[in-house]
Amino acid sequence: MISRHQRIVFWSLLGCIVAMALLLFFTRQRERDRVTSLADKTPIDAPATTAEPVTLTLANDADGSITNSQREIALPTETTARARALIDRLLADYAQPGSAHPLESGSAVNEVFLLPLPVVGHTLSPAPAANPNDRRPTVPVASADPNALQPRSPGGELAVIDLRSNFVNRHPSGVEVESLTLLSIIGTLHANLPQIEAVRFLVDGQPRETLAGHADLLRTYPSKDTTTPATPNL
Amino acid sequence: MNRQTIVLDPAHGGLDGGSRIGDTLLEKDITLALAFKLRSLLTARGFTVIMTRDTDVPTTPNAQGSALTLDDRAGIANHARASACLLLHATGAGNGVHLYHSDLDPAPYEAAPLPWLTAQAAWAPESAHLERQLGAALHRAAVPSVLSSASVRPVDSLTCPALIVELAPEGDDPASIQDADYQQRVAESLAAALVFWPQQTHPPLRLVAAPHAAPVPPTTAGAKP
Repeated sequence: MISRHQRIVFWSLLGCIVAMALLLFFTRQRERDRVTSLADKTPIDAPATTAEPVTLTLANDADGSITNSQREIALPTETTARARALIDRLLADYAQPGSAHPLESGSAVNEVFLLPLPVVGHTLSPAPAANPNDRRPTVPVASADPNALQPRSPGGELAVIDLRSNFVNRHPSGVEVESLTLLSIIGTLHANLPQIEAVRFLVDGQPRETLAGHADLLRTYPSKDTTTPATPNL
Repeated sequence: MNRQTIVLDPAHGGLDGGSRIGDTLLEKDITLALAFKLRSLLTARGFTVIMTRDTDVPTTPNAQGSALTLDDRAGIANHARASACLLLHATGAGNGVHLYHSDLDPAPYEAAPLPWLTAQAAWAPESAHLERQLGAALHRAAVPSVLSSASVRPVDSLTCPALIVELAPEGDDPASIQDADYQQRVAESLAAALVFWPQQTHPPLRLVAAPHAAPVPPTTAGAKP
């Protein structure tokens, strides 16, 4: 004989089980719909970007040379992102096995900032550049100009490269190896982003004296062609 | 310029060991050993040699126990007004001796006031001249040498003919860098080349700010002369 209060407990528990089953069923249905809708919005392929030819300025520890090498890589359109992508690609090449200038793998750059460079005594030429992709040339300001000594920004930019301390702390130490890394970065920026006229380096947002005990990180480097032939031993 | 004075800066020291050469060697020990050999040879040739440090702990210009910064080293060298400043480094890469002068663009004269971070610009031609002299001396001694330019602190702040002398192993074995005979041969080559250097070097022109004209006292009408 089943007592009355046991029957009440039985039916209550059964009701709870049915309610839980229904709750689970509808919750599962709602989550499946959400995931399905997300999947519909996720592109299956990466956005199509066309690879473009770039010049990497590659260093060689064996003979101290720096030479240009052509690559086809996809780059973002925004200039600072392009600068960062170029440096990342350059340093990724150095992390490959068999590299002539071996460096540790891993991300090296926090950010690249481009700042307009003020100059005194020169201004933009009114005539357009011969090549539409080039910057307009600069010309001396007229001596009669009352504002001749005021700084102007004729289009040149200072690139401030904020390196990661992880990269800097693991960089090999030595005059040649450190100099080659800096010259390689500067040469690559010069070859691909001609509007950059000067380059400075920070480490985690702070100035640091040297890269790994030798190469100067406090000075402003002019952006220039840094390629050199192999230095023969005398 | 004190023509018979040479400054030697054995790089690193103390907590800053510099680069690791092989498994056990530290750059700071190699540079100090080479500096001692150079000091003996230069002193024997009549030079006054000033070293920025002569122990593992860097010497400090004004206070004992504090670290010697790169700017301190440049200050010591600049106050000596030496005819040559050699920054001694060592590396396990390559072989022979690597000579570097500052890669600042040469300036035709010393400006006044002198910019600290580019003070070497006016001395760059003299530094390149010294580099060629030392390179030729090493070549005569059959020591392989590489001549180049680099920006290594504090060379850009020096107001003397300045070179970075980076000693590399003699051959493929990194341990050969601590071979006393090899270091002595390098030091003798450098010292021999420096003997005639004081007569060959010339300090750059120095621009002195034009003196201000003395203010003319205002004349008062009717005043007696």
